[in-house]
Amino acid sequence: MLLFQSEAWIDKWCERNNLARGEILTLDQVWELSKLWYQDRMSIDYHGRSMEQVAEIFRQAGLRSEFWYV
Amino acid sequence: MKEDLIWQVRHFVYQNFADMTHPPSVGETANHFGITNKEATELYKELHNRHAFFLDLETLNVRMANPFSGIPTDFKVTANGKTYFANCAWDMLGIPAALHTDATIEAKFTESNQEVKLEVKNGKVSNGELLVHFPLPFSRWYDDLVFT
Repeated sequence: MLLFQSEAWIDKWCERNNLARGEILTLDQVWELSKLWYQDRMSIDYHGRSMEQVAEIFRQAGLRSEFWYV
Repeated sequence: MKEDLIWQVRHFVYQNFADMTHPPSVGETANHFGITNKEATELYKELHNRHAFFLDLETLNVRMANPFSGIPTDFKVTANGKTYFANCAWDMLGIPAALHTDATIEAKFTESNQEVKLEVKNGKVSNGELLVHFPLPFSRWYDDLVFT
């Protein structure tokens, strides 16, 4: 996942790499996702997560498009 | 292979990243748990297969224990007085999220190569309007982790 100043820069990068545009989130959205995704990563009790748990994190982060289907 | 030991090794690798800013070698992990290098290698490979971290299978170095990167990247994160490298623009925020702390971040924009300084402070990120591009849908994230 790469950092860009604007959608124009993203389009330029996609064109140069001959790739379709993926999903674009603001840094604020990624921060909310990060807290949900990584808050328990340092715990000794963290043993990975199920697809249902992944889906719940995306739901809580407001990521509901097909791109985020698990 | 004991299930408990697998997850203890995972935690040891992550704690080593947090404390030392780099992952432990197979030998260091073997010494810590009082096991052979061969046993530690098997545990590393098992954790790699379970996507708990991502191993360079030639060197057996931990390349990624998300959000931490085992190699330098364009996403440098300073937190708790230590400087880490994150795997990507998501993981640069994942480090303060995982460590539950504030952070300063030196990153580079893709394509323009301009540098930018960001901050996570009191639960908020600066420059929140900047953009992160996710090139692949979740269903394909594990096809090629380096690209993802």
